[in-house]
Amino acid sequence: MIADGVEDEEKWLAAGIAGLQQNAFYMHRALDSNNLRDALKYSAQMLSELRTSRLSPHKYYELYMRAFDELRKLEMFFKEETRRGCSIVDLYELVQHAGNILPRLYLLCTVGSVYIKSKEAPAKDVLKDLVEMCRGIQHPVRGLFLRSYLAQVSRDKLPDIGSEYEGDADTVVDAVEFVLQNFTEMNKLWVRMQHQGPAREKEKREKERSELRDLVGKNLHVLSQVEGIDLDMYKETVLPRVLEQVVNCKDEIAQYYLMDCIIQVFPDEYHLQTLDVLLGAFPQLQPTVDIKTVLSRLMERLSNYAASSADVLPEFLQVEAFSKLNNAIGKVIEAQPDMPILGVITLYSSLLTFTLHVHPDRLDYADQVLGACVKKLSGKEKLEDKKATKQIVALLSAPLDKYNDIVTALKLSNYPRVMEYLDSETNKVMATVIIQSIMKNKTRISTADRVEALFELIKGLIKDLDDTFHDEVDEDDFKEEQNSVARLIQLLHSDDPEEMFKIICTVRKHILGGGPKRLPFTVPPLVFSSLKLVRQLQGQEENPFGEEESTTPKKIFQVLNQTVETLSNIPAPELALQLFLQCAEAANDCDLEPVAYEFFTQAYILYEEEISDSRAQVTAIHLIIGTLQRMHVFGVENRDTLTHKATGYSAKLLKKPDQCRAVYACSHLFWVDDQDNVKDGERVLLCLKRALRIANAAQQMSNAARGSAGSVTLFVEILNKYLYFFEKGNPQITVAAIQSLIELITTEMHSDSSTPDPAADAFFASTLRYMEFQKQKGGAIGEKYEPIKV
Amino acid sequence: MPSRRRTLLKVIILGDSGVGKTSLMNQYVNKKFSNQYKATIGADFLTKEVQFEDRLFTLQIWDTAGQERFQSLGVAFYRGADCCVLVYDVNSMKSFDNLNNWREEFLIQASPSDPENFPFVVLGNKIDVDGGNSRVVSEKKARAWCASKGNIPYFETSAKEGVNVEEAFQCIAKDALKSGEEEDIYLPDTIDVGSSSSQPRSSGCEC
Repeated sequence: MIADGVEDEEKWLAAGIAGLQQNAFYMHRALDSNNLRDALKYSAQMLSELRTSRLSPHKYYELYMRAFDELRKLEMFFKEETRRGCSIVDLYELVQHAGNILPRLYLLCTVGSVYIKSKEAPAKDVLKDLVEMCRGIQHPVRGLFLRSYLAQVSRDKLPDIGSEYEGDADTVVDAVEFVLQNFTEMNKLWVRMQHQGPAREKEKREKERSELRDLVGKNLHVLSQVEGIDLDMYKETVLPRVLEQVVNCKDEIAQYYLMDCIIQVFPDEYHLQTLDVLLGAFPQLQPTVDIKTVLSRLMERLSNYAASSADVLPEFLQVEAFSKLNNAIGKVIEAQPDMPILGVITLYSSLLTFTLHVHPDRLDYADQVLGACVKKLSGKEKLEDKKATKQIVALLSAPLDKYNDIVTALKLSNYPRVMEYLDSETNKVMATVIIQSIMKNKTRISTADRVEALFELIKGLIKDLDDTFHDEVDEDDFKEEQNSVARLIQLLHSDDPEEMFKIICTVRKHILGGGPKRLPFTVPPLVFSSLKLVRQLQGQEENPFGEEESTTPKKIFQVLNQTVETLSNIPAPELALQLFLQCAEAANDCDLEPVAYEFFTQAYILYEEEISDSRAQVTAIHLIIGTLQRMHVFGVENRDTLTHKATGYSAKLLKKPDQCRAVYACSHLFWVDDQDNVKDGERVLLCLKRALRIANAAQQMSNAARGSAGSVTLFVEILNKYLYFFEKGNPQITVAAIQSLIELITTEMHSDSSTPDPAADAFFASTLRYMEFQKQKGGAIGEKYEPIKV
Repeated sequence: MPSRRRTLLKVIILGDSGVGKTSLMNQYVNKKFSNQYKATIGADFLTKEVQFEDRLFTLQIWDTAGQERFQSLGVAFYRGADCCVLVYDVNSMKSFDNLNNWREEFLIQASPSDPENFPFVVLGNKIDVDGGNSRVVSEKKARAWCASKGNIPYFETSAKEGVNVEEAFQCIAKDALKSGEEEDIYLPDTIDVGSSSSQPRSSGCEC
């Protein structure tokens, strides 16, 4: 007959509701005709439906609520009856004639409520009677619902301070006594339920008990609403009595739930002033109680309270809340040696949040919490527990969120020690969180010591922490994280050159171990950061105090040279070449000829030995030419050597068009506008002629290979170079030379073997138009162009 | 047969934890306010007599737990409600966003006979906080939502200072009265006069 099927239960509930409705119908009729006798009879029969044992608490609650609603009508009827002259005392006697005890007690509570309202007897006497009479029901579910009915109907009739029921005979003490007694009885019923019935139904029983919990907790809610309970009464009576019940019941479910209730229903001020007592209860709870969750909620509440207003902070200090919570946590952890590490970290995480809110100026507290956490973690392997590592990330993020400033977190000596316990994946996550915090808050990290500490924290991103290969690392994720490191490097800055140099050296030390995959991301920002420092120093008097130690561009260049070199070993020769050229240009601006020469040499060596891909060569040679063109620091000899090499490389490119373009680009190496000593018209012409020869050869090759001449584009490009130098006043570039080049192009374009190329045609046409335009401009330029026939 | 006069109006207050449901009820019924946050457990009600068109009604105001873990027995008490009050905190966007969930949850669980026209009232509470400076939900936004849900009456209240509380509950009472949520009319199959029905379903002890 046990209703374990849901269907059965629905059936029982439907039957219960039907019985209830039928009797309610007759009750209504009796009420309408003011027939007290029938009203009592049918209401008692209606309430008999609540005698069932077949419903789960949820379903029982549905039935109970229907009865509850009906009883409100009955209550109003009772009120009307007393107005019509019926004695409430008689009514109170009369309802006790009901045959079954459960309906009798529901009716008694209902009349009792009217009785108190009538004030014909002291509220405390009626309440005392009712709470005692309810002992008659010892069936847990029925008893709990009956008593919760009592709690609800008496709720607004307690002799609270300022209430109409307070009087000479009735005080708030009586109200408290009544609620506490009801609470105690309910808790007993609730706990006893655990030990009734067969062991195999333990799970079902626990579920049912869990559903019933709010009926018990409701009493604490009622207490919290009693205005007369001031701090003293709470401290002296309410809290000790409630805790006594909680501790002594030795029931895991009850202890967990009721501690949570106490924390949630009573105000923060009370908790602060009774922390000793409240926290003292925790170690006395059953070892299986999930204390960490409850304690964390307490700390969360208090943190929110502290954050609500600065006015409340003195309260926290006055009661030494931090040290009390810290002690309590220590004791709980000690008392529960089997507590999983997740629990430990959760507790410390809550305590850290608490101290950050309450004592933002006490970094030592925060460090103390982290230290305690380290102590608990030590001796353990790296954490495998996903939830625990997540909790550590939360723990470590808390100071960042609070201070918006990694610099503060860097002062916490235990911070990196906690990070040690993260697996490398989580370590990276945390490092990313740290970098994001710095980015978001634009934190200035301006000393080498802090940079050292910071890189110690984010080393998960800087180098491989273990030897295992992480093949599964996503390429995009890796790029993303390395780019964030690069951004971070750019952000490190000190206005003091000495300190900045130290920062650079510190960063360098850390990133050099990053391995071939990371260096291409981390070296460039470091190089540019160093070059920025060079530029800053460049205007200044070299070594103004003659100090040996002071930072000079020369010193920085030495470091740079070694730094970039690491890239050529990876190998990443193209990147290294670019960076060497950047350095050369900076050295040029510092008037350091030997240094600039050295950088060029490095770049050339890379070009010769490492860069073999022809397209990479083209890119590299143009970079070399461009950079070299801008150099003014070189004496004739060095410059000759470098330009000679560059033209040599150009002429040796694989494809003829590439050769041609590189060679005519070289012409600029011999003619620099703002350098009077570099105006070698003859060699310019040599370059251009050589380019022409190559373009010719390209045409012929094309003819031989494909049977048609290639495009005239190269010739037009060379023509444009001629015009450039012609305008610049290079005496070697003559009208005749230009004229013959135009004719050559025209002939090529009209030859039978030429392939039509609209782009080249347009290019040529626009070049001619340009010349026409220059002619018409008049003045010196116009005169110059005048002899050319277009 | 004359039906009993409807003199009891049932009102349910819903909303996120900490928006001030209990405070609104206490301010309205007892004219009292406490700044302290105290969670509500389960469901709790207070009653207040209201005069309306020369008739006296009893307003039964149900305050509920905003925190789900303190609602272990479910929401059977929604049944028979005449009006539902949705409360949010004007300083918390989340509490406003959740109004929709509360409304829908109520309609599902209470299953009123005419959900389209079931009376709701929305209260934007805590307008006193920080002189209105920490406010994040504008009156316009709230009114727009109310309009979109069938012109729900809207009030901006301060339980702390008693602003608009009386007015809001006047409106709540009026709407509850109009709601026309009649209780299920129950008619027994046979009218069994005089004899007491048997007690077939008792089991276990005689209590």
